[in-house]
Amino acid sequence: MDKGFLIQFAVSAAAVAGLVVLSAWARIARPTPPLDEARARALFAEEFPRQHLESVWIAQDGAGALARSGPSALVLWRSGDGYVARATPWSRALHARFKDGLLRIDFGEAAAPRAVLAMAAWPPGDAPA
Amino acid sequence: MKFDPVTLATPFFILAIILEIALGRLGKAKAVYEPKDTLTSLTMGMGSTVAGVLIGGVIVAASLWVFQHRLFDIPMTAVWAWVAIFLLEDLTYYGFHRISHERRFWWAAHVNHHTSQHYNLSTALRQTWTGGVAGTWLLWLPLSLIGFPPAMVAIQKGISLVYQFWIHTEAIGRMPRWFEAVFNTPSHHRVHHARNPRYLDRNYAGILIVWDRLFGTFEPELDEEPCRYGIVKNLSTFNPLRVAFHEWAAIGGDLLSSRSPREAAGYLFGPPGWSPDGSRETSDMLRVQWKASQARETEEMRRTPASGAEYPVA
Repeated sequence: MDKGFLIQFAVSAAAVAGLVVLSAWARIARPTPPLDEARARALFAEEFPRQHLESVWIAQDGAGALARSGPSALVLWRSGDGYVARATPWSRALHARFKDGLLRIDFGEAAAPRAVLAMAAWPPGDAPA
Repeated sequence: MKFDPVTLATPFFILAIILEIALGRLGKAKAVYEPKDTLTSLTMGMGSTVAGVLIGGVIVAASLWVFQHRLFDIPMTAVWAWVAIFLLEDLTYYGFHRISHERRFWWAAHVNHHTSQHYNLSTALRQTWTGGVAGTWLLWLPLSLIGFPPAMVAIQKGISLVYQFWIHTEAIGRMPRWFEAVFNTPSHHRVHHARNPRYLDRNYAGILIVWDRLFGTFEPELDEEPCRYGIVKNLSTFNPLRVAFHEWAAIGGDLLSSRSPREAAGYLFGPPGWSPDGSRETSDMLRVQWKASQARETEEMRRTPASGAEYPVA
């Protein structure tokens, strides 16, 4: 790589830093109020339009939700100002690691390695086995 | 001195992003920026430049070699030659873009451009790191074989890339009808970046939307169905390495688990979402499911007349 390219790269890096600071200052991200059940159900309906939700549990911080749909657990969690959703077998969600109020569900994907949801208890008392 | 439209346009890219953020901040235009998302998009853009430099020598050498075996001598100074390269390069781009969505091997290189859940000018710069390795540049070699000088092809590719920058915005609603009919616009390209089943794998155009109209891949943006941006299974990370390589990693995992050469070929060159047992969903499957649900809803509405409609008052 020649010197000109390195200078161009350094200037680009400075510009990137400036633009990111500007975007943070502008505060024009989507608002992300804590999820309530209605909003969580609406998001689940967008992500899994054919799935019937039997039960929905909202994370304590409102940053995610988990639903039971037959043999599947549907998981929704916040990423930036958007949401990510995945389905996993209910049995896997039921036996996911739960420690210090955090439920960690592994998906084994590079794109979404795991969801971490703040839950009061897991499995919840009203969860079917 | 080398004429590179992208390098020349870079200051304009930066100023345009500043303007879009400012208009969003002032409430004068629709512009949504999330800092981590913006950082990822811009980092991907810088990484793409480095990847381009690393593989650039191979592409230039291949183009020059093919050009030495050209069928015709096409002068760079002729206006007709520029008109021809404009049309042929844009058609090549359409083909490249379509295969980049419809075949997983090339989708793995292109998917990063679609991983943002936002649609703003920084998204335009979320470019591939692995496109060179995936060999999509081979699609442009026939232009040099016909006789277009490689420099001419490179300039037209650059012009196309610069054109496609400004259409990555929600700040512009619709362009005049004649413009929307002929050219790729923010409205058409919003559809391309949307993950709604109706909009999946549509509007592949670079500059001219006429290719999509011609080949049946055009879908207009509907006000009653706002675009939801991103990919079918969105990423939960802003890590540029994961953004760049996650689909390659997924392909690797699938290849390791495949039980026959046919399965391996399907995982590699089938449509994204293909699986041997059909347990995953391709864009076509999602569209069919969506159309079926739309048909069911329409049928239910037809069977259940609106309140009062059964007894019309004369």
